[in-house]
Amino acid sequence: MDDRHLTGLIRGAQGGDVASFAELLDLHYDAIYRIAWKWCGHRTNAEDIAQQSCIKLATSLTQFRFQAAFTSWLYQLVISCARDWQRSQQRHEHEELPEIDRTPDGAAHPEDHIYLAQLIEQLDELGEGMKETALLVHAEGLSHAEAAEILRVAESTISWRIHAIRKAMSKPEPLMSGGI
Amino acid sequence: MKPQSFEHHLRHAIPPTPDPQARLRAKRAALAEFERSHLTRASELNASAPTGRTVSVGLLHLIRHARKLPAPNCVWRSGIASACVALIAVSVMWLMPGETRRVQWDYAPPPNSSLNREGKAELQNPPIITQIRPEEGHHAAHHATLEPENERPPLPAAPVSLPRARKTPSPQTETLAPEQVARVAPAEEIVVEATRIQERIQDVPMSITALPSSNSVSQPPPPSSNVEEAVVVTSAKERRSFLGRLFSRNAPVTLQVPQESRDTFEHFEINPVKRVKDEPVSTFSADVDTASYSFVRRQLNEGVLPQKDAVRVEEMINYFDYAWPASESRDQPFKPTVTVSDSPWGEGKKLIHIGIKGYELPVRERPDVNLVLLLDVSGSMNEPDKLPLAQRSMALLLDTLNSTDTVAIVVYAGAAGEVLAPTPVKDKETILQALNSLEPGGSTAGAEGIKLAYELAERNFRKNGVNRILLATDGDFNVGITNRNELKGFVEREREKGVFLSFLGFGEGNYRDDIAQALAQNGNGVAAYIDTLNEARKVLVQESTASLFTIAKDVKLQVEFNPKTVAEYRLVGYEKRKLNREDFNNDKVDAGDIGSGHAVTAIYEITPVGSKAKLIDNSRYEGGEEAAGDPRGKAGEYGFLRIRYKLPDSSRSKLIEQPIRVDAGVPERIKEDVNFSTAVAGFGQLLRGGNYTGSLTYEEVIRQASGAIGKDPYGYRKEFVELVRKAQKARGM
Repeated sequence: MDDRHLTGLIRGAQGGDVASFAELLDLHYDAIYRIAWKWCGHRTNAEDIAQQSCIKLATSLTQFRFQAAFTSWLYQLVISCARDWQRSQQRHEHEELPEIDRTPDGAAHPEDHIYLAQLIEQLDELGEGMKETALLVHAEGLSHAEAAEILRVAESTISWRIHAIRKAMSKPEPLMSGGI
Repeated sequence: MKPQSFEHHLRHAIPPTPDPQARLRAKRAALAEFERSHLTRASELNASAPTGRTVSVGLLHLIRHARKLPAPNCVWRSGIASACVALIAVSVMWLMPGETRRVQWDYAPPPNSSLNREGKAELQNPPIITQIRPEEGHHAAHHATLEPENERPPLPAAPVSLPRARKTPSPQTETLAPEQVARVAPAEEIVVEATRIQERIQDVPMSITALPSSNSVSQPPPPSSNVEEAVVVTSAKERRSFLGRLFSRNAPVTLQVPQESRDTFEHFEINPVKRVKDEPVSTFSADVDTASYSFVRRQLNEGVLPQKDAVRVEEMINYFDYAWPASESRDQPFKPTVTVSDSPWGEGKKLIHIGIKGYELPVRERPDVNLVLLLDVSGSMNEPDKLPLAQRSMALLLDTLNSTDTVAIVVYAGAAGEVLAPTPVKDKETILQALNSLEPGGSTAGAEGIKLAYELAERNFRKNGVNRILLATDGDFNVGITNRNELKGFVEREREKGVFLSFLGFGEGNYRDDIAQALAQNGNGVAAYIDTLNEARKVLVQESTASLFTIAKDVKLQVEFNPKTVAEYRLVGYEKRKLNREDFNNDKVDAGDIGSGHAVTAIYEITPVGSKAKLIDNSRYEGGEEAAGDPRGKAGEYGFLRIRYKLPDSSRSKLIEQPIRVDAGVPERIKEDVNFSTAVAGFGQLLRGGNYTGSLTYEEVIRQASGAIGKDPYGYRKEFVELVRKAQKARGM
């Protein structure tokens, strides 16, 4: 998709054109869902987050000023929605096992999903912002500068976080479970 | 182990295909929102006098406009149509007679744009704050959540301080507000959606506490979590009134569902019988928590049997004080006591008791204490057995501290923040005054509660002293860090710095035992459940030295059974504490801590070789079991006990070893203690379903326990006997 078309869609949607907004949604739903899924590692939760993000997109698209890439702006929005979603879930959170994909599309490997869920958990334990950093830099392939802009921190902070994540991940994880 | 790096995995993990229905739902909801936000924007431009505007104006616009819409596909149209129906329902409810619900819309001046970093997320619409009149109390508070979406501070803008609001709410905490769920739902789905709303209604107060009248906001009634029961709503009228009841706080929600407790316990399976030949070594971590017993007691006192996962047998056993001989010196802070007796619930089986009593720190040796009380003062704590009990408990604790020890108080909820800077205990009046001035109110997280508590503890850090946070709550963990794993990681990192965390649980209905356990375990602390002032006295006064002064950390126990003498074994309890065999010698693996004077008791049930009580048959292809009489002299042992521990300031573990002799028997001096702990173990297992307790009955437990009461200066053992009677009754009902 070329930039001009995208810009046209955004401008149209900002002006209140429903068809433009609908196309914009269609174009970006998968990306929104993908980020959400890598953020939480769980399909239905990711769907919830994606829905919240779409709704948020509807209300805040007018604030997009074309000063950054639309995708960067979108990352910011999804991550923010994901965090809010997490907060709203907190009170009735239960340990849930990662849901293994039922659809036999051949591309998904259940063990990958379990590993991803574990990764997410480890990243969460590393502290605030670490997961988001790993998500943007490693999963989405953004530069440290881009990630810094999205997460509103200094670029050096991103570099430090990436270093800390790598260090933590290379440590073997002590296992607390097992047979008696 | 991992074929690819985590980076690679993060990049290339393929998400499962999203449900097409979910996709459609998201699109519908977003389009409806889009429509509405653009239409209300247009109407705002037209409207000359914005005050007194009601939602129905916007609604009329919406309906009028929806007709004129080009319909690119019918899905949108039906989505919008159903959104309208839902909105009508909401607005009808809004205008329901007999209730004075008025929300005044106030325009706030546009926030200073310099607050927006990088200028790219400027606010276009002036945010509107719903101001709630204090006298309107909770009806109005509820309606704040019905505020139209686009009138909230939009996102993703940089945090902006809004005038009037004491704390900037996260602009989106209320995205799942009932109104919104209803708005996007087709009419015929409203009933279904309503159940989701019901589940989420408890989130509502979180989104409104930033408002000035937050103190008058009352907690929602404990929601009934069981919403699977069918609620059949047929006519439109009924539907409306159903929604009305659902949304209205003062009209009782008359869903026909039983009030189910929302106390959360993590599920676990009880330890199975193991064959010594297959798995001769059993490893677990020490556990001195007693929360399970108090919780079980509370339930039984109310005449109900506790849920099975609330029963942790080891915590019930460890609730009681046993006279295991204590160690004399601080360097080897405890010594094990091992006894062998006949199992009362399995003929031909034996029980091995392993008792550990921690060294009791004499008063003069006590290190300085730097204590930070982190108290939940949210609205839900407003029950006699919650905040008031916590306050009285803390007052009791003060009496046990030295005059140079310091206490600080941090609260979280409406009145978030530091209530009392670290104050020496000799200023007891000041501390008591601060403590007693706390009142439950408000409902949201005082955002950085836990961080603030740690900050205070670190600021006042005592190098050779005890630095500990005491968290008291009824289970709401809105302490600032909302992600459970992140919270765990945070507590862990703080532990490395020397600040530990203990947990005191209060009340019921919302008690999060699972989180309490996780936090206390990661924070090198104890988790206790306080149901009465008596319990507070036990935990905070009698055992204060134990809960405050750690004498050994990462205490792990390992028993290797002798296949020549033992055929099968089973560890009673400690399911949540098992460790891998290799973890025993790995000093990196965290385990339980033992405080000054703490006692830990573990019970194994074994089936000696040759006994008919065996559950697992011999393997066909292995030789018959040899009779005892092995010339190497180990035939006289059932097994070998190893205990690893670290002194509080060391990171290298020490080892204690001791054989378990077949003829160990039970010394007369501790006979009653062995019998009593056996009775408690039997009772715990019965409550968990009694899979391995044969024909053991409550009657039998009562008989055993009554015969082993001993001195019992505080009456805990007598109380236990009463409790078993109550269980007997509760079961009969």
